[in-house]
Amino acid sequence: MSDVLSKSATATEIARAVASGKAKAVDVVEAALKRIAAAEPTVNAFTDIVGDRAKKRAAEIDAGLHRGPLAGVPFAVKNLFDIAGLPTRAGSKINVDGPKAARDGSLVRKLEAAGAILVGGLNMGEYAYDFTGENAHYGPSRNPHDPTRMTGGSSGGSGAAVAAGEVPLALGSDTNGSIRVPSSLCGLYGLKPTYGRLSRAGSFPFVDAFDHLGPLARSVEDLALSFDAMQGWDPDDPVCTDRPADATYARLADGIGGLRIAIAGDYFAKGGEPEAFEAVATVAKALNATKTIVLPQAAVARSAAYVITAIEGSSLHLPRLRSRPQDFDPDTRERFMAGALLPGAWYAKAQRFRRIYRANVLKLFEEADVILAPATPCSAPKLGQVMMKLGGVDMPVRANLGLFTQPISFIGLPVVAVPTRKPGAMPIGVQLIAKPYNEQAALRVAAYLEKQGVTNATPAP
Amino acid sequence: MADEKPDIARWVDEGARAIGLPIAPEYRANVIVNVERSLMIAKPLLDVELDDELTPAPVFKP
Repeated sequence: MSDVLSKSATATEIARAVASGKAKAVDVVEAALKRIAAAEPTVNAFTDIVGDRAKKRAAEIDAGLHRGPLAGVPFAVKNLFDIAGLPTRAGSKINVDGPKAARDGSLVRKLEAAGAILVGGLNMGEYAYDFTGENAHYGPSRNPHDPTRMTGGSSGGSGAAVAAGEVPLALGSDTNGSIRVPSSLCGLYGLKPTYGRLSRAGSFPFVDAFDHLGPLARSVEDLALSFDAMQGWDPDDPVCTDRPADATYARLADGIGGLRIAIAGDYFAKGGEPEAFEAVATVAKALNATKTIVLPQAAVARSAAYVITAIEGSSLHLPRLRSRPQDFDPDTRERFMAGALLPGAWYAKAQRFRRIYRANVLKLFEEADVILAPATPCSAPKLGQVMMKLGGVDMPVRANLGLFTQPISFIGLPVVAVPTRKPGAMPIGVQLIAKPYNEQAALRVAAYLEKQGVTNATPAP
Repeated sequence: MADEKPDIARWVDEGARAIGLPIAPEYRANVIVNVERSLMIAKPLLDVELDDELTPAPVFKP
């Protein structure tokens, strides 16, 4: 058990200590704010810190208000989540001139209702069209394990804040991999739930067809605890499911007995650097998984996900591309402009393909409960790096860090990203993919791997 | 038809004019690069054949 005022304390440890009276929420928040002040010059994870609000909330918790399973846990959110009184930046300069949020986003309210304490908003790639964590307006978020390297994006600040030990828990969004990529590059556990499982109300959209929200943390318990607190129907998000919440935390200790685990072959076994496949092999070995299955037409799925993203995202931003092109991040502007010029027929075809791909992939879950795949094709590239070698071929970094995540979010499957790390090397993650609404299976496998010491999310020193 | 390479620069210039999106000269070259890249990434989707009966998955609930 960690000292709950230290950077290595998990959300679960803090909540237990605060609930039992062994620690005070005000001290936990004060310690988090000090760590943030110390680490920010290096990692640049935060764009907004709400210290006074957090201290007030902490005092209320110590006074016996807002009891819940996350009592006293400091957390921060990607700055596309609404924070009452602040403009919702979504990584942009343009949105700062827009209205200030009238109230917190739905998931912020749910976490605070469970006793957690918001401490700030986090850096991100502009309008979430990003896999790097770089941002021309606010500077790049930097990888706490090596600040000359990328965090991955677009939830780059979420990855940096948790890996640096500034906060134990952060929320991100994942449209094509934006939770799983920074989890992989920063060495964290990340949960991209089933599409529609968690409400997106009060968050700035990117691509409605694929937008998901979820947590990043340094322990599987923290993922499950926060996920359980955030579930539930929300009439303000038309996509949000009305299925009953699934209590995943209570089942973490069930182990992996009865779960059939397979390895994704073909598309997911090529086109990356050796470390990506070694990570999958390490996890597979620990789970005694030997069966390989093929997600049919995964390359087409990636292609279709790209097309839907480019066209939907660009359509959303077309008015701003017309009126304020000079105020975009140069790294997103011309991609959005290009997306606005792609044919509508491509979009319709991608949506039609999505249906058949979904049906074919769902059949695979008749023979496996959890499928293993690399999270990223390589560990963290250098900041500013434009090209990288993947399997011996020169590829652009931006478009390709999400090579292995895109075909999964394309059909909304739940995924837990788990971190592996060899001594002296940068971390790299593995995706544990489950069928829709079976987050519980992926979380149980993640908990087993964590317990066996196969995966580890120790914060950067 | 598949062998005919599209003129991407013209696609960008005419397309932008058609939808009323001014593209400043300093952005143009990179927009062209990105349309070229999009064409390359979209290729696997464009090459696949789908049955006429295959309709999209999204369901609009009135």
